[in-house]
Amino acid sequence: MDGYAGNIVYADLSLGKVTIKPTPPDLKKQFIGGRGFGIRLLTDMVDPKIDPMSEKNVLVYASGPLTGTGIPLGSRYEVSTISPLTGAAMSANSGGVFGWKMKKAGFDAVVLSGKAKKPVYLFLDNGKAELRNAAHLWGKTTGQTTDAIMEELNDKSVRVSCIGPAGEKLVLFACIINEKTRAAGRGGVGAVMGSKNLKAIAARGDLPIKAADEAQLDLVKERVRKKIEDNGIEKALHNYGTAVLINIINENYVLPTRNFQTAHFANAENVSGETIAKTILKKPKGCYACIVQCGRVHEFDGETGEGPEYEPDWAFGPDCGIDDLKAVARANNICNEYGLDAISAPATIACLMEMAEKGYVKHPIRFGDAKGMLKLVEQIAKREDIGNELAEGSFRFATKYGHPEFSMSSKKQELPAYDPRGIQGYGLATATSVRGGDHVYGYMISPEVLGAPEKLDPYVTKGKPQWVKTFQDLTAAIDASGMCLFTSFALGAEDYADLLTATTGMKIDTAGLLKIGERIWNLQKLYNIKRGFGRKDDTLPARLLNEPLKEGAPKGQVWRRDEMLDEYYTLRGWDREGTPTQEKRKDLGLA
Amino acid sequence: MKVQVKAFATFREVMDSQFDLDFLQGATIRTLLEDLIERYDGVGELMFASPGTLRDFVNILKNGRNIHFLGGLDTPLDDGDVIALFPPVAGG
Repeated sequence: MDGYAGNIVYADLSLGKVTIKPTPPDLKKQFIGGRGFGIRLLTDMVDPKIDPMSEKNVLVYASGPLTGTGIPLGSRYEVSTISPLTGAAMSANSGGVFGWKMKKAGFDAVVLSGKAKKPVYLFLDNGKAELRNAAHLWGKTTGQTTDAIMEELNDKSVRVSCIGPAGEKLVLFACIINEKTRAAGRGGVGAVMGSKNLKAIAARGDLPIKAADEAQLDLVKERVRKKIEDNGIEKALHNYGTAVLINIINENYVLPTRNFQTAHFANAENVSGETIAKTILKKPKGCYACIVQCGRVHEFDGETGEGPEYEPDWAFGPDCGIDDLKAVARANNICNEYGLDAISAPATIACLMEMAEKGYVKHPIRFGDAKGMLKLVEQIAKREDIGNELAEGSFRFATKYGHPEFSMSSKKQELPAYDPRGIQGYGLATATSVRGGDHVYGYMISPEVLGAPEKLDPYVTKGKPQWVKTFQDLTAAIDASGMCLFTSFALGAEDYADLLTATTGMKIDTAGLLKIGERIWNLQKLYNIKRGFGRKDDTLPARLLNEPLKEGAPKGQVWRRDEMLDEYYTLRGWDREGTPTQEKRKDLGLA
Repeated sequence: MKVQVKAFATFREVMDSQFDLDFLQGATIRTLLEDLIERYDGVGELMFASPGTLRDFVNILKNGRNIHFLGGLDTPLDDGDVIALFPPVAGG
């Protein structure tokens, strides 16, 4: 089998011991890599009863067989752990260059357990791995940490994935940042890293990554490259970045505004992808082997950075009632420097804004206050003043003040930038997401709003459960492969299956690919049931089920869970409580 | 009757981003697009794969509702309508 680096490194941080073992063939066959590896290794190793912040939790970095093989957009790695924010087994995905470097250093995955007595970082170096002192790095931002490690190793080819001060301070939605601006963003993976006294992983190497059938892979690569280059959607991502969505989502009247009180922001244009392109954009930027380049390098008022991507652009912008693009970009940069999830941080601030305006919390912040918002981002990262309470996430914060209904979250994780009341299938995908409030575990926005691969009526519930299941399973397989999810606008399941077959030598067809995705999904689900999740959790905030939208075409609509959930469970082979049946578990090899 | 037209992303490279147009009763989205093709060079090529067939992933909204779920290109225009024109876009 090929496409793999061949080894997994296990670092026991409590003992300060590093062990290298071959990547098991059965793990490759059953779970491919990336998210599949992460969820399998994590759920094998960790007792479901543990506290996610305890040293018994495990953090798994894993690339996929398509990462770093020169396939367009094959750059991703996944970080899997038990989320301290949601309590669920989850994974967060990042791009950039680090995933490729980890493989070039000789490793398909890195499994981190225990807790170091003092701050350390793990250095992966051409087949070897060692833990090194990181006491001098503690307290540094992600940019400072990256520069300091590259300097002390005296090698500019080194790539660094690290936490910032927010991870050290155990902010429940702290993220992990590689190459200063790419984030494994969600679920608090950075807090788990901080709880282990692990500041960073650095990777260096030039080991070969071979495909099983190089000639065949070249053919499939070319087919895939052409599909991506010819696809209009991929071109738009290059020209305007992901924030091009601001206007189309707003014009559909499904852009959550002021903590989901409405779904239309009058000044959306001021923070749109089009406005970014003509104001602060310096140049587009891509991850390893990317031919799309949706990243945005910006420069304004002497400040340089990247983004904002659509999600933080929305969350710091319309969701906080703010139309000041520079403030939004600055807030996003603070999140990158301190290592904060740039969805959960602003969405938690939006929750505070609503509660403060309505008098449930005594605080001067109001919707539209950009200066106050920027101050709160830093306070959260440093756990200072009210930031210490907000660092627990919107659900815990709003509950503390007696009003959990103001937290726009699912399974305690803040919802992304779409209002489910006007996009029914997306609502189902988010409510049933095994990692909580989420949009990239099954991106139903694509058929329901963007019209790809075909146009589905967003107001209709009929037929959506099947679409959601298929999208969730396919996404799990893509996340396992190491490919960027954005390829799915241009590619179909058969393309991923052909890429995997040529790269690994395993014969994977479309049905086999979807089955691997379904296996990953069900394994996450089964583990999360052991952690106490059930039907009651597969839902969205009461506001979205009970308060109709107030304007535009979807006026009067709510999210209609009851029309979809039972059918979704049935299609998945789950019982009425959402538990996979014995038959389904057996079918997937999870009995 | 008066209709407001809003263009986004690459469509702004060939037409104004926001403007009003007057139409007679009975006009449809198709009438509007034919009008735009006459007014602005490049609109037809960007919007249509072949005469009468929109390119993949082009989305046209009438007051926030995709015309695909109304009457397609034959969707009638009404006084005060806001018509939003989107080329293929995506994000996440």
